Amino acid sequence: MDRLDSHPVEVIDRSGRVSFQFDGRTVQAHPGDTVGSALLASGLRIFSRSFKYHRPRGLLCVSGNCPNCLMNVNGVPNVRVCTRPVEEGDQVVPQHCWPSLRWDAMALIEKVDFLLPVGFYYKTLYRARWLWKLAEPIVRRVAGLGRVDSSRSPAGHYEREHLFAEVAVVGGGPAGLAAAQAAAEAGAEVVLVDEQPELGGHLRFERAKLEDPISGETGEGFELARSLAEKVKNNERIRVLSPARAFGGYEGNLIGVALADRLVHLRADRLIVATGSFEFPGLFKNNDLPGIMLGSGVRKLLNLYRLKPGKRAVVVASNDEDLALALELHEAGISVVAAVDQRLESSDSALIRQLKQLQIPHLPCFAPVAARGRSDVRALEVAPVDAEGCLELDKSRSFPCDLVCISTGRSPSVELLRQNGGKVRFDPNLNQNVLDSIPSDFSAAGHINGLKDPALILLQGRIAGLEAAESMHPLGVDLKEQLQKLRDNLDQGRSDWRETVVPSVLFTTSSAVKQLVCLCEDVTRKDIDNAIAEGFDEMELLKRYTTSSMGPCQGRMCSMLVAGSCAQALDRDLTTPGTTTSRPPVHPVPLGVLAGPHHYPVKLTPMHHRHLEAGAHQMDLGEWKRPHTYTSSENEWEAVRKRVGIIDVTTLGKLEVQGRDAPQLLDLIYTHIFSTLKVGRIRYGVICGEDGIIVDDGTVSRIAEDHYYITTTTGNISFIESWMEWWAVVYGYCAHVTNVTGDFAAVNLAGPNARDVLSKLTDIDISSDAFKYMRFEQGEVAGIPSRLLRIGFVGETGWEIHVPSSYGEYLWDTLMEAGEEFGILPFGVETQRILRLEKQHLIVGQDTDALSNPLEAGMQWVVKFEKEDFIGKHFLDLVQSEGRRNRLVGFVTDELVKEGSAVVTAQTPVGRVTSARMSPILNRCVGMAWVPEELAEDGANFDISHHDSLVSAQVHQAPFYDPTGARLRE
Amino acid sequence: MLVLLLPTAEDEIVSFLIACPNCGPRSAYEFRSGGEYQRRPSGDAPDRAWAGYLYFRKNSAEEHIEWWYHSSGCRLWFLASRDTSTNRVTGTFWPEELKKRGPSPDAESPK
Repeated sequence: MDRLDSHPVEVIDRSGRVSFQFDGRTVQAHPGDTVGSALLASGLRIFSRSFKYHRPRGLLCVSGNCPNCLMNVNGVPNVRVCTRPVEEGDQVVPQHCWPSLRWDAMALIEKVDFLLPVGFYYKTLYRARWLWKLAEPIVRRVAGLGRVDSSRSPAGHYEREHLFAEVAVVGGGPAGLAAAQAAAEAGAEVVLVDEQPELGGHLRFERAKLEDPISGETGEGFELARSLAEKVKNNERIRVLSPARAFGGYEGNLIGVALADRLVHLRADRLIVATGSFEFPGLFKNNDLPGIMLGSGVRKLLNLYRLKPGKRAVVVASNDEDLALALELHEAGISVVAAVDQRLESSDSALIRQLKQLQIPHLPCFAPVAARGRSDVRALEVAPVDAEGCLELDKSRSFPCDLVCISTGRSPSVELLRQNGGKVRFDPNLNQNVLDSIPSDFSAAGHINGLKDPALILLQGRIAGLEAAESMHPLGVDLKEQLQKLRDNLDQGRSDWRETVVPSVLFTTSSAVKQLVCLCEDVTRKDIDNAIAEGFDEMELLKRYTTSSMGPCQGRMCSMLVAGSCAQALDRDLTTPGTTTSRPPVHPVPLGVLAGPHHYPVKLTPMHHRHLEAGAHQMDLGEWKRPHTYTSSENEWEAVRKRVGIIDVTTLGKLEVQGRDAPQLLDLIYTHIFSTLKVGRIRYGVICGEDGIIVDDGTVSRIAEDHYYITTTTGNISFIESWMEWWAVVYGYCAHVTNVTGDFAAVNLAGPNARDVLSKLTDIDISSDAFKYMRFEQGEVAGIPSRLLRIGFVGETGWEIHVPSSYGEYLWDTLMEAGEEFGILPFGVETQRILRLEKQHLIVGQDTDALSNPLEAGMQWVVKFEKEDFIGKHFLDLVQSEGRRNRLVGFVTDELVKEGSAVVTAQTPVGRVTSARMSPILNRCVGMAWVPEELAEDGANFDISHHDSLVSAQVHQAPFYDPTGARLRE
Repeated sequence: MLVLLLPTAEDEIVSFLIACPNCGPRSAYEFRSGGEYQRRPSGDAPDRAWAGYLYFRKNSAEEHIEWWYHSSGCRLWFLASRDTSTNRVTGTFWPEELKKRGPSPDAESPK
């Protein structure tokens, strides 16, 4: 299609060329084109197929509101190509049609539409359930929108941003631009959100001469729009988010904004909504044929992209502005065969004279009845309207045409205001929805208020901007005076604020099929009438029953038509049906944008790279990476039991508790007593919840009277930290809890030769008499200030050495070097699990769950009932008095059983295995299991289910290895 | 298991601001809810009182006092009075101030 002659209003760069792929062919475009405008220029008329009936659809609104141009662009479905700027190499594919847009076999569905009445899935397919099973795959294939390509990985693709502004302006038209500029001038930090490819709103394609009432600048509308946009973009206090869609208003002045693949949480002290208004189509037979377009869409195509969307046009107007489109079309060389005026009376006599001069037939008080054509519009039939507002069908006239520019009415874009508590009502005099109340902290400016005159829109935008900024930044004398003057000007102009739309003859035709009310969901006028006849006569009910206004346009194209149809069917006026509740999202938002980024934090210990160099197999433990094994668990086991081994235990949670009341706090938190712990000693402790369930365990070392050093399980540290802080606050204890997990690197050096290795590196007397089991010392190891804890999780003589984390790697290297002559080996988590199981040391979370208390877990010795109080005491008292029901016991079997296997007696599952490993020392499987209390006796036998058979197991209460703990104390 | 002990706000959808007494107004995303403020029963209180304390919440649509933890900030616990029907936070304060506010009948009598 040829473009019109070049004109400064156009946004395309004719010297440049961009090409992209559409459905297997190459399409040429100019920079500045949208995919939609380029496709129209290439001659495409059918852009999509409708949701249910697969009716052909072409461009309608050209503003990104309607569902008619949804396509798959570069693998992303449901992209509105009319507002998507063209990029070199784009892959554009039509969606929801087979085999092609032009010939869609699924369009046959319309021939059987009598089988698919409104709510058919509630009726036809409900009684016979089997029928739905058959129908579902067909329905899902035939109906719907584009398909998501599940092979595309969105990982790392989406972002989230929290943005704070003093003034947020939504809408980058003249009102929004003036408001943002004014607020910034007054000193406010401003964020401006606009959804179109360029700032400027409807002024972008306005060619009338205008005067900016503030700067006094004159020029054609689009020139003013560009200079305003330039000023805003260059203002340091204004951040522009464009193209971005403000899709929802939430409590606390929060606006959700989708900026490409980023979700912006925009929170502002004051918000100015300048979202303008949108046009919606009319109701007549075949009102959705390609070639029937909204007047504003046609103006955009003519001006921005210099395209002729047709050769012979009919203009259907409901105000003077729309009627003037006939002149614009004529000027562009499109023959206008009729200018149909839907109003009962017309006003602007000069305009009508002009039409007459150009020999354009003007038909006042006419309305469209039907459009003719199969795959696009070929003719429009119009009929006069009588004094009662009824169509006189016998006097109808038909006009052959390939373009219908229809303007039925406008509605303000008030969704954001309504979601924050604003109210809207239908004004029967203006025949449109008007804002009734605006929520506090919000203001509305421009077209959204019904303003038409661009000068007044700019004026109101500026006032809104100054007023919003004034609440935070007191205005200077100049601006204060200016604001007062502007208010006076606006007051004077108040009389011609709103365009008064004479009641149109929107809803006069008799009920007929193929009058599409909701374009997104293919809901016809007949469907609405049927639903009302069935009793669904409230707007909210109609919406839910017919699914009208639930599609991509979210009611922008249809809510007034549904309200009108409803009002007419019930013989009410339009004030009664009202509107449905507005909820976010206002526009479709990709789920990925809402779901946000996939950021999985990973924590590495200071010795991480040494583990990798040693060939460690890594495993994930919470956010940490830990070595599972380095060589094999047998090798590593042997090193620990017979020589010496070393394991990185940096991942342990580490806390410091300090303060006068630290002992009382720990006595409250732990079931054990820590106020009596002597300085320099270590005690094992268990933390329970108030319900007596084990939450965590670890060691508590007393560094000084008012200073404890605590280790917790790896994954629990932040919870334990907040838990302790909370109880300190509840009881007003003078105690401070500090999380030092990241501050310390730690290793456990264990094995018969551990002392030999350590003694090479420290002056501390580590002989068994001087440094006893469960003692704590501070001193230097390899010249590093260290904390030494003599404890034995793996059951050997050993020390946990905690050093500042920056020394972690050095400590590791030094210990490995010192241990070389003794055959030291690093060991992983898997080996540690075997070692600890031989000692029957439990792991919280592995051997305990949400029902495990320390009494039943076989740790009565850590629960000190003699204490006046501790967390969980009341419930542990109950367990004590009512008796234990289950017990965690050690067991042996000949065969390795799986963790999680059922414990079985008399063919009934009565418990479960929590841990099981082959023990090299016994050459049998050792493990731990929850069993009923009566089985918790040394030597008791029970069965474990294993691969459909049973394995016999024996309870073994004492540790399998070194039952007296002699080796630990050596 | 931890969820039983302290309700977490991590997967709740909240968008309001909370004024941390230490840091000032911040997005609710930065905080973790600690649930309704309630008094811990004494050791010799009957089982019913303990069960109520542990397992039952008033959960009423009105202004009440609850715990908040500034987990992504200063990591301090404080109390907030919030209207659960509107999400309006009417005040935030340190627990010591609760005593100054005088005994609230709810908080003083264990259930």
